[in-house]
Amino acid sequence: MLPLLTTIVFLPLVGAAVTALLPRERADLPRLVALVVSLVDLALVLWLVVRFDVAGGLQFIERARWIPEANIQYFLGVDGISLPLLFLSALLLPIAILASWKVSERPGFYFTMILLLAVGMNGVFVALDFVLFYVFWELVLVPMYFLIGVWGGPRREYAAIKFFLYTLFGSVFMLVGILALYLHPAGGTFDMTVLASSTGLPASFQWWVFAAFFLGFAVKVPVFPFHTWLPDAHVEAPTAGSVLLAGILLKMGTYGFVRVSLPMLPEAAESWAWFVALLGVISILYGAAVAFAQTDLKKLVAYSSVSHMGFVMLGIAAGTPEGLNGAVAIMFAHGVITGMLFLLVGMVYERTHTRTIADVSGLSKQAPVAAGMLAFASFASLGLPGLAGFVGEFLSLVGAWRSELVAPGFVVAAAIGVLLAAAYMLWMVQRTVLGAPSSAVEGITDLNRLEIGILIPLVVITVVMGVYWSSILRYVDPAVTALLATMGAV
Amino acid sequence: MAYVALIPLLPALAFAVMAPLSRVVRNRVRWLGVAGVGGALLLSLVAFASVWPGGHEGEAAYHASWPIAQVGGVDLSLGILLDPLAAIMLLVVTIVGVCVQVYSLGYMHRDERVGWYFAVLTLFTAAMLALVLSDNFLMFYMAWEVMGLCSYLLIGFWHEQEAPRKASQKAFLTTRVGDVGFAIGLAIMYATVGSFDFDVVLGSAGAWAPGVATAVALLLLFGAMGKSAQVPLHVWLPDAMAGPTPASALIHAATMVAAGVFLVARALPIFEASGVALTVTMAVGAITALLGGLLAAVQHDVKKVLAYSTISQLGYMFLAIGAGGAIAGMFHLVTHAFFKSLLFLGAGVIIHAAHTQDMREMGGLARHLPVTSVTFGIGALALAGIFPFSGFWSKDEILYAVWNDGHYVTFAVALMAAFVTAFYVARLWFRVFTGPVQTENLAEGHTEMLVPMGVLAAITAVIGLTAPRFSEFLGHAGHWPDPAMAVSSSVVALSGLALGWWAYGRTRLVLNTRSLKERSGHAYTVLTQKYYFDVTYEHFIIRPYMRAAESLSRFDGSAIDGAVNGAAGAWKRLTEVAWSFDGRVIDGFVNGVARAARASGGALRRIQAGRVQTYQRYVLGALVLLMLWIVVKGA
Repeated sequence: MLPLLTTIVFLPLVGAAVTALLPRERADLPRLVALVVSLVDLALVLWLVVRFDVAGGLQFIERARWIPEANIQYFLGVDGISLPLLFLSALLLPIAILASWKVSERPGFYFTMILLLAVGMNGVFVALDFVLFYVFWELVLVPMYFLIGVWGGPRREYAAIKFFLYTLFGSVFMLVGILALYLHPAGGTFDMTVLASSTGLPASFQWWVFAAFFLGFAVKVPVFPFHTWLPDAHVEAPTAGSVLLAGILLKMGTYGFVRVSLPMLPEAAESWAWFVALLGVISILYGAAVAFAQTDLKKLVAYSSVSHMGFVMLGIAAGTPEGLNGAVAIMFAHGVITGMLFLLVGMVYERTHTRTIADVSGLSKQAPVAAGMLAFASFASLGLPGLAGFVGEFLSLVGAWRSELVAPGFVVAAAIGVLLAAAYMLWMVQRTVLGAPSSAVEGITDLNRLEIGILIPLVVITVVMGVYWSSILRYVDPAVTALLATMGAV
Repeated sequence: MAYVALIPLLPALAFAVMAPLSRVVRNRVRWLGVAGVGGALLLSLVAFASVWPGGHEGEAAYHASWPIAQVGGVDLSLGILLDPLAAIMLLVVTIVGVCVQVYSLGYMHRDERVGWYFAVLTLFTAAMLALVLSDNFLMFYMAWEVMGLCSYLLIGFWHEQEAPRKASQKAFLTTRVGDVGFAIGLAIMYATVGSFDFDVVLGSAGAWAPGVATAVALLLLFGAMGKSAQVPLHVWLPDAMAGPTPASALIHAATMVAAGVFLVARALPIFEASGVALTVTMAVGAITALLGGLLAAVQHDVKKVLAYSTISQLGYMFLAIGAGGAIAGMFHLVTHAFFKSLLFLGAGVIIHAAHTQDMREMGGLARHLPVTSVTFGIGALALAGIFPFSGFWSKDEILYAVWNDGHYVTFAVALMAAFVTAFYVARLWFRVFTGPVQTENLAEGHTEMLVPMGVLAAITAVIGLTAPRFSEFLGHAGHWPDPAMAVSSSVVALSGLALGWWAYGRTRLVLNTRSLKERSGHAYTVLTQKYYFDVTYEHFIIRPYMRAAESLSRFDGSAIDGAVNGAAGAWKRLTEVAWSFDGRVIDGFVNGVARAARASGGALRRIQAGRVQTYQRYVLGALVLLMLWIVVKGA
């Protein structure tokens, strides 16, 4: 029997080795290799989803000694919280590859980087040993650095270095947290499952370790005021980079809160909750307001991500079943919906050669399919019930109100964020989709079959999840319940 | 009874089929929408018949639910509750829905996106039916928002013009202001009882702390005020008239805007548990009924007259429920849905015929549009509250309920509103249908348009007679109008009509209203400026928000990102200092060694010159292989 998780994580690495070593003359081979690898990976993840036992807790566990001298293990496993994210990662990979089909500049290098990125993304969500977790966490930085820095826009070098250094700066604090847990007598291990169920870390120690992890995760999410690398990275990154950045990389931060901060440092999580909620609410309102003022489509979507991720933080701070279910639901939904938005912005840019909102108008007249998709993604993003975005945001609000850790005022402010989301999204739709075609839009072609094909799975998932919440929550809810049970036991 | 679930599903299915089609094909299959809603109508009739005899027991005739999620062990579900209230609403929605769909076949047939129009209209009907049938507040809210989407899409249907585009956005955002309140209300409700189900929530509402009940009720009311265009959230509805007229008839007159009233009626136990919330509901309704009516009396656009009239009439319904006359309020909802959609459909014919919406450019239409003028006349008399048309009965019940409950101030306001209503009805009628003809080639509407109007007119003419049965069906004692009340309300309505006739209807001596307007000065300006609501919002909310967003955006670049770049710059300078130290002192030694090495390295470099990229790829490949090896060894 094949070790399933290892195969899922490292198959892209094999692919990366192949694409790196392919002869330069065969410029069309790397993308084909990458696509095949990503589709096989997706198939494996789907098989895993099918075989996943909803009530089974951690499963598909693989464990081996790695560096016995330091008691470091090779330890993988998946539960209902990581499963949706692993699926999201596997889903967005072929989509990102197909969206890069026309990359002509050094395709071998490009697809190597994409596949290498996949190793890190998949690995982070299934690693259960802190050292392994950290390796995957940092592994993600390198390929994304190159994706932005080599295939990016005019300010790519600045954006790439900023992305790299800023998130590295954050993860140094995370490393400090990991080591602190390891060196503390009541911790003394890199085993994340042991740390998550252990008791007896003194509250004051927890407080400091939480702060260290907080910095690491908050930069990644990103939470206000650590967010300014995000718009730069998004604007400069190629479409596939933006899709994976917003779709997966941001979720690593919030996943860290759920996987590390809450279960390992439950008392600190409680005393820090108001702060997490505060920054979450500020992110919601601030991100929405700044998004409203943007003139660049990609920046608008980037700031909308800051706003949406604020809802995740609010749900996490709440620490209630509704809040945590909501948090994971938003992570998933945001990956799908924002993926769509970035894909569409990229498709529009390819045709109009501009992302300036003022220059793109009347899409629906000239390119009705693109316009319809953009409008659909926008409504999903602004949290229209019946589509995926609503599920998590609603649960997060309900969960936050129910929580004793979050002040009602925060919830009211967050609810106003839902209104502001409608404001920036509708205004964008009004200016780009509606109206009479502008000169940049005049004469452009509508989406081709490949582009529609890329978007369709995301559209379907958005609708299915929005109508039948259990499609994702059936995995999340038992895991969340288990998580809260261990926290309550402390 | 599982067929009840098909009532919203049939139109939803029609939409699902139509939406992905190409424009050309979709235009051709627009009948699918009509069929979907038609099927829903047939099933609704069956459903209505099934609850009719036993309805007064107050028991739900049919209740089923399907969980869509389990959160923290609690089932959240989509469910169907078919009780008398829902059954009545089903009939209203599907009858008006079919009438509007059929009418639209004639009205919209030349539009190049007619298929999309029908698709959205059908989705709207599905959402409204789901709302009517929902057995819990969550599903109610979801359907509520989907209706909002359809409303947005239809208001902005002709989005190449600026007015519809702006109006659609305004409508969505204004109603969403209300929805923020609604959502918070839901959160409090869930935190209180751990459920959204009507059974659980409404069953326990009486035992809630009064503060909680008041908070939830007022927040729900706030949501209802957005959807039902009550002051001060009414500003979107007049602008929404930029959409196609039949869509206005269905969504912005008969059904969606009445959903707020339906919400309050559904959540009545919470309002009753609060008490205060009922009074607030009554006050909001009374204020809106009067203010809306006064605005209707100064509009020149025929659709805007009807829009303000709708606002005013919805206020009447809130007023009724707040005063303890929930049955009367719901009855008015029903009668209003028929006569107001009739008036809108009539307005559509008028606008097509006169090629304008401005009543000052119309006149004498009665002779050329016989069917329209008769049916419109029936609707107008119903709106004015003239016996025996439907509005008379429902308005009378409301006045009776308000008087009986001892709200004399509200009663006076309601009477004033009734007077104003009759006045603007007369103003509309005489301006449009009498006087000199101002348009050439006046033509009556297509048959597809006239038949639905005939149906609605017939219903409007007779439905009032069901008043006592209506009450009994909803579990209350039925009665015929109190003679004294009927006489006094008729006197008020007739005098309103008479004043309207005196001002606008006399053939010989048409009153020059200009001098009157000039003499009334400020009062008239306040009305034409719509009480300055729009200006106030523009000035104190929208513009400041836009400015704040702009400055936050600048702040983001200069302050927050500036701090990041500043820190990075400072670090760079620090390292440069260290570097120069490193270079001069430490590296001096290293360079000496390096110089020796370079001499030998020259040979190697020659081999590799010009192959930097290949070289990079080898390094990369080697790195990847190395990692792979580590992993394999580890595992």
